[in-house]
Amino acid sequence: MTLETRKLLDKAFSGLGLIAIGMMAAALLLILTPILWRGSKAFIFKGTIEHRRVMLEEFDRGNTDRFPAEMEKAKAAREPIYQILADFKAEMKTMERSTRGEYKSAYREVEQAITVLLGPAPGERTPVLMRQRYGQMRWDRTQIKLHEVLFSEEWDYSIPGAMGVLVETPRIEQFAGTKLEPLFHYMEEHIDEMMRPKTTFYWQFITDKSKDSHIFGGIWPEVLGTLYLTLGAMLFAIPMGVIAAIYLCEYAKEGRVVSFLRICISTLAGVPSIVFGLFGLAFFLNTIHVSDSKSVLAGSLTLSLLILPTLIRSAEEAILAVPRTYKEAALSLGAGRWHTILTVILPASLPGILTGIVISMGRAAGETAPIIFTAAVSVGAPLKIWETLNQPTPALPWNIYNLCTEHEAVDEIRHVQYGMVLTLVVIVLLLNMAAILMRARISKKLRG
Amino acid sequence: MQKSSSLIMSNATGQRQRMGALLGQGFLLFITSLSTFAVFFIFYFILKDAIPFFKLEGFKEFFTSTAWFPSGEPAEFGALPIFIGTGLVTLGAVVVAVPLGIAAAICLSDLLPFNVRQIVKPVIEILAAIPSVAYGFFALVVFAPLLQNHGGAILSAGTWMILGPILALLVVVLGDLINEKLESKKTGWVVFPILGGLALFTIHSLASRLAGVEISSGTNALNVAVILGIMALPTVVSVSEDALQAAGRELREGSYALGATRAETIIKTVIPASVSGILAAVILGVMRAIGETMVVWMASGNAARIPDPWHNMLQPIRTLTATIAGDMGEADHVTGSSRYHVLFAMAFCLLAFSFVMNLASELIVKRSRKKLGKS
Repeated sequence: MTLETRKLLDKAFSGLGLIAIGMMAAALLLILTPILWRGSKAFIFKGTIEHRRVMLEEFDRGNTDRFPAEMEKAKAAREPIYQILADFKAEMKTMERSTRGEYKSAYREVEQAITVLLGPAPGERTPVLMRQRYGQMRWDRTQIKLHEVLFSEEWDYSIPGAMGVLVETPRIEQFAGTKLEPLFHYMEEHIDEMMRPKTTFYWQFITDKSKDSHIFGGIWPEVLGTLYLTLGAMLFAIPMGVIAAIYLCEYAKEGRVVSFLRICISTLAGVPSIVFGLFGLAFFLNTIHVSDSKSVLAGSLTLSLLILPTLIRSAEEAILAVPRTYKEAALSLGAGRWHTILTVILPASLPGILTGIVISMGRAAGETAPIIFTAAVSVGAPLKIWETLNQPTPALPWNIYNLCTEHEAVDEIRHVQYGMVLTLVVIVLLLNMAAILMRARISKKLRG
Repeated sequence: MQKSSSLIMSNATGQRQRMGALLGQGFLLFITSLSTFAVFFIFYFILKDAIPFFKLEGFKEFFTSTAWFPSGEPAEFGALPIFIGTGLVTLGAVVVAVPLGIAAAICLSDLLPFNVRQIVKPVIEILAAIPSVAYGFFALVVFAPLLQNHGGAILSAGTWMILGPILALLVVVLGDLINEKLESKKTGWVVFPILGGLALFTIHSLASRLAGVEISSGTNALNVAVILGIMALPTVVSVSEDALQAAGRELREGSYALGATRAETIIKTVIPASVSGILAAVILGVMRAIGETMVVWMASGNAARIPDPWHNMLQPIRTLTATIAGDMGEADHVTGSSRYHVLFAMAFCLLAFSFVMNLASELIVKRSRKKLGKS
């Protein structure tokens, strides 16, 4: 090979490495951007008057003086719609039977779409289900539902072999010449006045209870459940992890027992998380019965086993990083072994141990598989602290799964799902940021 | 009098203190060995509930039949498609994570200056920290619709991204070799454009063929494999970077002193020296991919049949972890039935596999450490 080619190859090789790093960063960005961007819309969005009504009626929050006037205005703007609907209904009665039949089902579709958009018509009975009592609360959903009023959608399967094609026809054409025709123009032009969108900052999304399976309100039960599970797991894991690390670093003599212990710890680290879940079910719930059914306690115990290896390793590293001279100085002053550990080694390695704790907290907060069978339910009220001993809880990771796969109105509550993912990711990332910063400070201290 | 007695210990106090220390140490040992007990308990309790399945249904059906109807009448427990699905996504994840991860690790340990490394490391840590359910959510809600609607475009873009750099490198090497054979420097301007054109044509024809592919469902093996690959990346990168670092300065400097370029040093000296550590990194990456639950449960389509042909990544599959997570909700009511125990049998397969892999990686690392330490 000539020297030029070797140089070129060298550069190309570096280029490959840089491409790999770049792709990794791109993957991170690609994943985080939609979560951050669409997740933020759970907190900041254009809320319609229906949102303010829900806040006032269900959560006792909002301006009770100004709201009725605003609601009146919105109602006035909606009035003509119901007038047109009533007119058309009267017109339908005068039609011939065959044409009436044609219009009837199409009309019912329109009527339903309007109910979904604006809520029940005035004078109608209050529906039993809460989700039917209010119109659209968000401006983006409003526009989608408005589209459903304006266009009828049909799947065309006429082409053999190919997938169905969505055909949209404007309803204004369906109802051309009838009294319903002006409705569509009116709706398109006056939707602002009917819904009165306003930029809303709904930070209470985190602290509100959810109502009617997450269609209304926030995610407090999930946040609280995650908090309980994480703290519970730490409660069991920290003492065990730190003590094990102290033993392995300070007391144990390298030998068969210790290498056996180490193999066990690394095996524990390699156990798939779902197996932890099954073990939690088989052992904590079905064998020693820590509680009658799923509970936060059982979930915490399972999670604590999961994070134990991480915790032991990081605590070990932190203890080993304490300079030997510290320990020797303490021992030469006449301190006992135990005394040295408590007053010299532990304080000196505390930041490192804390870093490990914070990282494992992030891990415990985000794990889903171990709590599926041991602690998580999809719907539940926020628990009191003593109820954690025998009651299951909703938790962020589980409910993210549940809402985006098993909820009956998956598309309607995308913003809730994104908001939950954002909350979880932010919690975990904040914990990890804290760990990264702490580690930077420690390494500075050790170097300087 | 009081003072002197506290300075000079009597025999009895000394004994008492020694007893105390011994007791304390015993207590510490006990707490430490709790993690050992945990491992044994996990094996015991999973096995305890797995054995009844094999007693009831035998081994043959579980490992060889392709009919998976656990709730049928009669129930059939052919888990072969599930094993194949697991293997398929794991293989896909390895294909994504290993080349990318090793390249990134080399870049981190040998190419990047210190301050850039300080920026890249947190990126890896954040990738590792994002909860698996968030990855699953991304796969299901963002990536799956993208694949379904723009599958062809994504596939062809991916082809360009993967084959482009590799073929560029290949063109340089091949062109150089040909020039060497021809032994004339003037042919260089002919050989390189020809090879380059050939490479571009290959990629273009492949990419345009893939651009025509329509993906009927975005929740498929490809989706899961890509996401699992990204999730396994941090493990692969950090473990193999450790291995590369452990190869040591002297080795690199020796190679430089002989006149090797950086690329040659890395390929011919550093990588062979740290190959066992890199192998351990790959094993750990595989374990991460195989043990992952949420992503595969949410985005793999959960269809318990073997793709046709078996390597077709564009079809939905089902994995062991997802089956356990998904079926336990229903099987929980029928504790004691084969339907319940089959999940434990699957969990035991996972557990045994990860145990063996873990042991293997541990052994490899230990041996390589010994070797490097001696030399």
